[in-house]
Order: sequence, then structure tokens, then C-alpha cells
Amino acid sequence: MSDPTVAEAWVAGPLRRLMEDARLISGVLLYPTGRAVGQFGFSNAADVMSICALTSAINASSRELGRQLDGKPFYEMHHAGADRQVFMARATAAAQEFLFVGVFDRESSLGVVEIYFAEFQKSLEKLRPEKQPAAIRPSGDFEGELNRSLDALFGPIGKK
Amino acid sequence: MKDVTQVVATLSHVPGVIAAIVVGASDGLIVEASAVMGAAAGADDPRKHTAALAAYLYSKVTRASHAARLGSPVFMRLEAEQGHICVVGAGDVVLVTIVTPKANLGRVRLDMMTAAKGES
Repeated sequence: MSDPTVAEAWVAGPLRRLMEDARLISGVLLYPTGRAVGQFGFSNAADVMSICALTSAINASSRELGRQLDGKPFYEMHHAGADRQVFMARATAAAQEFLFVGVFDRESSLGVVEIYFAEFQKSLEKLRPEKQPAAIRPSGDFEGELNRSLDALFGPIGKK
Repeated sequence: MKDVTQVVATLSHVPGVIAAIVVGASDGLIVEASAVMGAAAGADDPRKHTAALAAYLYSKVTRASHAARLGSPVFMRLEAEQGHICVVGAGDVVLVTIVTPKANLGRVRLDMMTAAKGES
């Protein structure tokens, strides 16, 4: 397993612990706007870019679906594939919201992922820097935001 | 199939059993659980963690047992400083009990095995 690469250093420890304890194959932590904060298990920026865009969109639509069906947003989603499973959930640190998407197989289980994700959530809350960066709001430049966060994780394209 | 609620109720009444839980074998999620005996109000609930990790551990023990060519495990007991965790597989679910150190483990084992036979 490779160490997580992060755009914000304070999330590296909690992400590594989540990856190891929950035995996740890969995972991405991102802002709801689609900007990546950290990742593990990926070596290709394009994969992370697709996952961020899809996770952001799935989060928006599942929230709305939750509101329509249950009167409140859905915050967690699990999809069990034949070999691999996807877990997607939100995490908050003070007022800042994050999304996490992780992939696991038979070496782990949904129950195990859920309990370690709860611990990850507590770590984020505890380690959150006192001085927060300016609130992350959609800038309207979705592609630009994605590219900037991927540059932070993988280095600028073409300069490697 | 025997009702999981009944299985949990039966096991939770065995002397020394602090909590009885039926857990999904593959997902580690609680299917049915008893209350935790003697738990103080507001104390952390150990059932979700215990259930998920015990089911996970049981799946690893099953692999180890098969690797050793011993077949499937019949009964698993984890002895800790302040009690035991007992696990028995029953098809798609595993039965988990949290037990005091002074419990009659023979009785716990027998009742769990009997419940598992009715369950699977």
C-alpha cells in the first residue's frame, strides 16, 4: 500500500490510518465542490479527476433524492459489486464539509469500513487546523478547481 | 429458520453473557442485538465495533483453519483481560457474545452451537 498524497498536510495521518485499519484499496477525500484534498491507491491524476467529478455529482443527486424520498438528505452510500465495493460518505470538521469515497474488497467489510470511517471523522474534527482556509465554495470554475487540486496531489502535468 | 430475535433473546439470558449479537458474515453489520447488560446510561455502545470486528476476525480464522486443512472453525473464543468474545458461524450470519470472565463457558458454547444449528 502506498502512502496517501495530500493537498492539505493535516489530513495525511487520518487518511493513512483509515486506509490501513479499514483495509481500503483506494480512496479520495474531497470537498463537495469536487476539489481533491487527499488520495491513496491512485497513480493517475485523470482517474482521481473522474472520481472527484462523479463523487461530487453523486453526492448532489443522492442528497436531493434523500430530500424527496425521506425529507432529509442521504449522507452515506454503499454499492456492493461482484468483487469490489464502494463506500461513499460525508465527513465534517467544524463547518467544513468533506466527501470521502473508498473502495474495498473481501479483505474488509462494510461494518469494518463504517467503524473506522467514524474514527476518521473524529480525527478530522480533532486535527482540523485552528485557522481555516477561506470557506470552500463553488467558484463556478469546476474544471479549474479540479485541475488545481490534482496539481497539488500529483504535480503539474508535463512537469514530472 | 429460527427467528434471529429469538436467538438473541435466548443467548442474552445465558448467565455471564453481557451482550448477544447476530451479525452479517460478509458485511459485518448487526442483524439483531440484545441490550448490553449493566451498561451505564450514556456509556459508549460496544456492540457495533465488536460485531464488525468479530465477524472480520472470524472470516480470517476461517481462512487460517482452511489453510491448516482443518475445515471450517466450529467455535471461536477470544480471551481478554476482562472477559471473552465468543463467535460461532451460522451460514450467512455469525453469532457473537460478549461474556464476563466468570461465565460458564461450557454453557455459553453449548447454547451458541445449538442456536447456530437452528439458525443455519
